[in-house]
This record gives sequence, structure tokens and C-alpha cells, in this order.
Amino acid sequence: MKKIISTVLGILFAFTLNYSVANSAAKEVRVAYFLEWPSPNLEDMNKKAYSDALGVPVKWTNFTNGVAMTDAMLAGDIDISYSQGLMPYINAVKAKAPISLVDIAMEYGMGGTTCVTSNKSGITKANASELEGKKVAVPLGTMAEYVFTESMKIVGADRKKMDIIAMDPEEGAAALVSGDVVMACLFGGNSIKSATAVGTRLLTVDEARAGGIMGIDIVSVTNKFMKENPGMVKSFVELTHDANQRYRSGNSDLNAMAKESEMKIADMKDTLSGFKFLTPKETKKSMKSGNLSKFLKGFDTPKGTVTTKFLP
Amino acid sequence: MITGVLTFVFFFAIVGCVLYGRKLIRTEKVDAVFGNPERAKGGVHWVIVGSSFLLLIWLYYSWDIAKSFFPKSANELCQVGKVNESLLGLKYLFPIEQRQFKSTAIIQKETENLNEILLEINQSDLKNQDKNTLISFIDKTKKTIPLLTDENLLENETKEKIDVLAEKIFTLSENFSKSDFPNESVEDEKKRIQEANQEGTWSASSTSIENTIEIPSIPKTKRGLKFQAAAEELNLISDEFFEIRNHNSQYRNAYDKLSKEIKDFRSDLNSSDEIVSSFAKDILKIARRIEYASIFPPNALVNMQASIEKFDEVQNKEQGGLRWVDIFLFPSGTIISSGPSCSEQGSGRWLPKPSDTLNKFVLMMNPNVGFKQIPLIWYEMMDVSKIIGFILPDWIADILPGEYPVHNEKGEVNSNFKSKVLSFVTGDFELFKIPIPTGHIWDSFLRVFLGLVAGIIIGVPLGLFMGLNRFAKGFFDPLIELYRPVPPLAWAPLIISVLGIDNFGKVFLLFMVSLSIMIISARAGASGTQLSKIHAAHSLGASKWQILRHVIFPNSLPEILTGIRVATGMCWGTLVAAEFLAGTTGVGFVENVAKKYFQYEVIWITIFIMGMLGLLFDITIRKIIDKTIPWRGKG
Repeated sequence: MKKIISTVLGILFAFTLNYSVANSAAKEVRVAYFLEWPSPNLEDMNKKAYSDALGVPVKWTNFTNGVAMTDAMLAGDIDISYSQGLMPYINAVKAKAPISLVDIAMEYGMGGTTCVTSNKSGITKANASELEGKKVAVPLGTMAEYVFTESMKIVGADRKKMDIIAMDPEEGAAALVSGDVVMACLFGGNSIKSATAVGTRLLTVDEARAGGIMGIDIVSVTNKFMKENPGMVKSFVELTHDANQRYRSGNSDLNAMAKESEMKIADMKDTLSGFKFLTPKETKKSMKSGNLSKFLKGFDTPKGTVTTKFLP
Repeated sequence: MITGVLTFVFFFAIVGCVLYGRKLIRTEKVDAVFGNPERAKGGVHWVIVGSSFLLLIWLYYSWDIAKSFFPKSANELCQVGKVNESLLGLKYLFPIEQRQFKSTAIIQKETENLNEILLEINQSDLKNQDKNTLISFIDKTKKTIPLLTDENLLENETKEKIDVLAEKIFTLSENFSKSDFPNESVEDEKKRIQEANQEGTWSASSTSIENTIEIPSIPKTKRGLKFQAAAEELNLISDEFFEIRNHNSQYRNAYDKLSKEIKDFRSDLNSSDEIVSSFAKDILKIARRIEYASIFPPNALVNMQASIEKFDEVQNKEQGGLRWVDIFLFPSGTIISSGPSCSEQGSGRWLPKPSDTLNKFVLMMNPNVGFKQIPLIWYEMMDVSKIIGFILPDWIADILPGEYPVHNEKGEVNSNFKSKVLSFVTGDFELFKIPIPTGHIWDSFLRVFLGLVAGIIIGVPLGLFMGLNRFAKGFFDPLIELYRPVPPLAWAPLIISVLGIDNFGKVFLLFMVSLSIMIISARAGASGTQLSKIHAAHSLGASKWQILRHVIFPNSLPEILTGIRVATGMCWGTLVAAEFLAGTTGVGFVENVAKKYFQYEVIWITIFIMGMLGLLFDITIRKIIDKTIPWRGKG
């Protein structure tokens, strides 16, 4: 009996202590990113330039959605999330997650995130109210959900009357192909490609832009990492902007980028054409008074989680 | 309040029952030897101890005990969290919670990095001239470090700035222990208390119950105010400190010269010398990192460190009883402040308080709220005609002679016999309504039930057949043995793409799970029948069917029913995962969506529901077992 009690107490004690174990000395930096979501800094990732710039090894881990990135950051497994969608970030900050927004990865139109209706269903922008009562696949809690909600407002359909199925983009595309859903909202080049093979975009890129639908992907870091290693955050942001500059001037190594995003070069170029990589100046403006700040205000995001001090 | 009472109730229940149990052991004359099952009978008091212990653990680790006994502690700890947050950057520079000075660590790391590059350069097949230039760059970079760490080169201005800041922290520590710090005026106090009251109290996380704040951040108490005021001041000091750069003129010159040299060198290179250029770039990067990092002479920050340690000491003392509350009632985590808000980080975050969970559960059970507009479990009125329409196939109308009606010139549609039959077989008419259960729980339940029943109906006869017939055994064995060991979830993605995301795919997956288990158990039961019993029945003139019905089947029933029990458990496990993949209803779907919005209360509710439903299934089957095979384990 004594032995049992002491064992139980020991386990409880260990459980109480283990929370303090974290990435205290920053012997490596762990970064989250997306596949099928190309960006110029993937070239630097490919050439290990981040490890050189930060002075410690940088470990890149790919995720399927931004919500999972937040989970990993909260669990202490990820320090920096590159190109996390703004929606997952907002949800996380609203849930009081200790993370901060330090940079904008890119702004994009509906090119990279979109809703596709199947051709079989015959539903287009004109008769979109027919979506009501039918099944649509939406990756809830991500930027695609935002695009979905906004698109429905534009085409005048009531999302509450639809059967919304929570699916990641890859599965959503498969469900659209098999005819299980009449519309799938998705992001990522390959998923959109396989979806548009059997369907059409509900709104074209231009229509979406005219409707004011725009996506923003951001760079978020855990507060602990930001406070303890400001130098590394700064180097990370700087190198990212260097890469963006290189891309703007047309000197990026597209092969390396395609390899790291696991896309074909042509598909990648197509996806990239919808992205806008901001200059440091534009980023600052967007964060202070432009698109990003409007977006955050629109969703009642708690203030004080955005910082511009790491921008070059 | 209730939590407080419950805590005592559980505590005394445990103590009382343990005492009772010990007394019972002493008074009871135990003549049963060790290993006799009689010894394990009875013992309700131990059940009470077990469940009370579990609930107490829940109350403790969800910090509900802290909340009910020290409702203001969260608000105060939030202020302490603000102080800790403001000190985070400063403390990290010193070996207070780290092993080394940050300067030391950076110098070590960067020297290492430089040496690595040096090694790479030496091993590469560059031209000697380039090599020498690069090596000289490395040397120069290394030589900038002593310029930063030399005490004599430290500029007076920088020194003074640091001393001023250290002095500020010392003064703050002194003031901090005074009882009237930070000298709040009566008006301000009124205003603060009013604001704090408006803000509300420590309550459930806002992710699951709307319009609540998790931790109020405006200080409610004097002690809290002290910490908040200190945090504000420390933030300013910290910001000022990190603006200080130990860039004396000598270092500045050396660095500028170096970076210019490297840049010139790189711009003179041809495009063919890419490797040389990238080496030079890497060296420059290291030089820049050294420039950005706050490297100071070893003794320059002694004052600063002492002041921070002093402040830490004072603030720990000022926390007083709060510190013990933090240590003992906030196990595995604490309240931390980050940016504008405070939050629970640790077990209090992912283990919601029992009271909050119950509130949320009651809220969700309301059929008008439910989850995503679908109730957890409720009923809806459905016309019996729909059931008829479901049972009768639609093609009955198609094969009748005649044509479906066509609209006439007046724009009217007159129904004929064929169209009337069609509306009958499709259930398009009104009869009377009966209540039908609906909702997430019902959907999950139905899926498991259907999958299980289908598995039993096909699996049991097939299993018996395989146990009795050589052909059946040989023919089906490879198939069953190949698919049985595959974890059911491995089939899930495939089945969902082939059979769709509707109920059919999920039920089929569960059917596959239960089928293999039922076949195996029925087969084992059939082949395990004692030959003597079959012979006895045969010699009494029983037919084949009678032997099967009255000897073999009852004999394999224990195995079959155990199989059903196992299959139920497996089906539950698989169902939740299948609903994770794609779905619009079901308990697994609820859990999956709740996770995306960090609704930990909902997650725990779903876990609880699944546990309860699984238990319900199990108890039902146990009752059936007791009823149908009372002889089990008795012979």
C-alpha cells in the first residue's frame, strides 16, 4: 500500500514539474510552414540560409492548416509559424494564445484560396442560392472559411442553410471529384487544381478582388521566443524580406522553391501569380493602417498582439 | 461556493471510507485464502474512494479549488505575470534562470560558426588568394569581439546609461516594499475599482462560452496594483535597456571597415565565384549578428544583474501568501500574461473546470443551441409516410403501364394513377407523425448500432459455417485473415473516397470492423463444441439442423457474445476517427470542430459522452450475457 501511494504521489509530482521544460536556450529554431504554398524564402530554406542567418540550426516542419500550427506553438513544439493564415491566428489570439504577429508573409487574392463548385451540379454565381440545403466542404477555422463566408455574402446565399462539412483541402477536393459535395472551399495549388478539373471557381479572381475578398498570411512567433531571442526573430524577418526582394527582381531559384513546396514549376508559378509579397514599407503600412489592421479590427481581435519592431 | 463544499465532501468521503475500510479489514474474519475470488467481493466504500479521488483530481488540476477558495488569486497572479513578462527579456541576459550570460553564449556560438566556415574554406578548392582574403575576413570578425568585451573601451555614456537603469530598478525595489506604492489617489482608486468590477470575474474561457472573460486583467486588489505598476515601469526600463548598444567608436570603425571591405570584395567578384561570394556573405552575416546582439564586457552589467536579482527577491517576498497559492493550487502551470491579456496556461487551460463544463453541457443540451445548430440529442416529428417511402423502392411506379402526366395547355398538371403510385412509393403524402430521435449523439449511436447489427447478421452464420465446413473454411480463410489484422482506421480514407462521406461509408467501415471479430468468435465457438455432446444429440436422433440449433449454437454463444462486446468497443474507436475525417454530424465531428476553435470544454464533453455511450452499450450486452448464457463460467 505504501509503495502504491508513493508511486502515485511521484507521478503527480512529475506531472506538476514537467511544465517548466521548454526551449530555453534556443539551441535550434523550429519553424512551421505549408506545402503547396510557395514563397521565395523556400529557396533559402532549401539552401539552409536560415540556419546561417540565425546562427543555430533551423528545423522546418510542414503543416496542413494554420490551426495545427497554433496547437504546436502552444505545446511548445514550434517557435515561428511562417504563412499562417490570418483567421487561425485571430482565433488563437481570441483564445488568449500567447503568440504575436511580427510580419506579413503575403497578401493574396482568391488565386490561392477559393471555392469551387462542381460542373455536374450546374451551380454558378448566378444560381448560387441553390447551394442551400446541399453539402459543401469547408476547412473550418482557416482562411478558406473566411473566403467561403464572404463569397456567400457576395452571391447572396445563406450559409446557415447549407450542410457544411469540415474537411481539409485535399479531402475536400477528393469529395468534390467523387460528387459527395457540390462545392469545396480550399487552398493550396494541387488541391485547387484537382478541384477545378471537375468544377469551376464560384468567383473568378477578379470578381473576388472586386468584392473585397483578400487573404493575408502572416508570420507569428510565440511570445516567449520573441522576448528571449529578438535577434533571431529580426534575422528571420530580414532574410524573408531579402528573399521577397530577390523574387520581385526576378532572381529567385524557382527550382529550389518548387522542390520545397512539392509542386511542379508551372503550377507553382500559377499560384505565385496570385500572391503579393510586400516590401518592408508596405508591410508596416498594412500592419499599422492598411489591410491587415482593417482585417483585425473587423474581427474584433484583441489589440496589442501585432508588433512592427522586427521589420527591416 | 458549491465547488468549495464539494471539495470538502470528497475529501471527507475519502478519509471516512478509508478509515471504514481499514476497520472492516480488522474486524472481518477472513478465512478465504489469497486468490479466492470471494476476497474481491463487496467494497462499495472503495468505489466511493475511487470516484471521489478522481473528482478531486479533476477539481485540483482544473484549478477549480483555487477558484473557489481564492477567487481573487487569478487576478493577482495576472499582475505577477505582467511583472514576469516585463522581466523576461532582461532576465534572459543573465545567468539567473539560464546557465550562461547571453553574451557568453553568443560569443561561443558565433566563434564556433566562424570556425566552421574557416574549416569549410580550408577544405574547399578555392584559389589561394581568395582563401586568404576570406580567412582575413574571419580574423577581422573575430577581432571585433574583444572590442566589445574590453572594459576600457566601454564608453562612459553607455556605462552611465546602464548605471542609471540599474539604479532605477534598485529604487523600484525599494519603493515596491513600501505599503503605499504606487501612491494611487482616491479618485484613481475609485475609477480602477469601478472598471475592474465592470470587467467581471475569473470565469470560463471565452472560446466556449461567449461574453465571458477568462482572467480579468485590471488589478482588483492593492497587491495586484503594486505589481501592475511595477510591470509598467519595468517595461519602460527594459525597452530603454535594449536600445543601448555597446558600440564604441573603435568597434564602430572596425565593423564599418569590415563590412565595407566584404561588400567591395563581393562586388568585385565575377559571377563564376559564387562560392567565394557566399562564404563572404556568411561571414558578414555573423559580423552583423554580433553587431545586433547585446554583447557587453563581463563586468559591465554586474550592477544590472544585482538590481534584477534584488527586485526578484523583493517581488517574491511581496507575493507572500499568493506564492503558496500559486505553487499548491495551480499545479502544472500558472496564469501568465501575454500582451494585452492574461490567460491560464497549463492544466487549467486544457482541463476545464467541472462547473464550466457542466454549464456548457447544459447549454448544449438545449435543442435550440446544440452544436452548429444541430442538437446533441432531441426528437423531431416525422411522418410515417417517409418510412414507407424509404422501404418501398421507387421503381415500382416506373414499371407500371402508362405515362407520367404532362401539363396541359392551361398550365395545369392532372395526376393519374401512375403519378399517385409514385408519390406513394416516394413517401410524398401525409399520414400521421411520430417522434424520431435526432442529433449528434443519436447519429453516432445509430451508426455504431447499424454497423454492429450488420456485422452480427452476416458474421455469425459465416463464422459457424466456417467452423463446420471444410470448403467454407478454406475459401473464406485467406480473405478474412488478410483483412482482419489491418487496423480498421487504415481503411477509413479509402472507404470514404469510394463510398462517400455519407452515413453509408461510415456504417460500412464499422461493419468491416465488427464482421471480422464476429466471424472469428463464431468460428472459434463452433469448432470448440465438445464432440461428445454432438454425438449424444446425434444418437438421440437429432437432425443436422437440430444439432446446429440446439447444440452447436448454444455452445458457441459465450464466444459470440464476448465477440459482440469486443466489437462494440472497436466500433466506437473507429467511429470517432471516421467522423473526424469528414462529417456533418456525430460526436466525433463535434470534437473535431471544437478542437479547431480551442473549445476545451466541448472536447471534454464529447469525451464524456463517448465514455457514457460506450458504457451503456457494454452494460446492455453484459445484461444480455447474464440472461442468455447463465451457465457461462460455471462448468
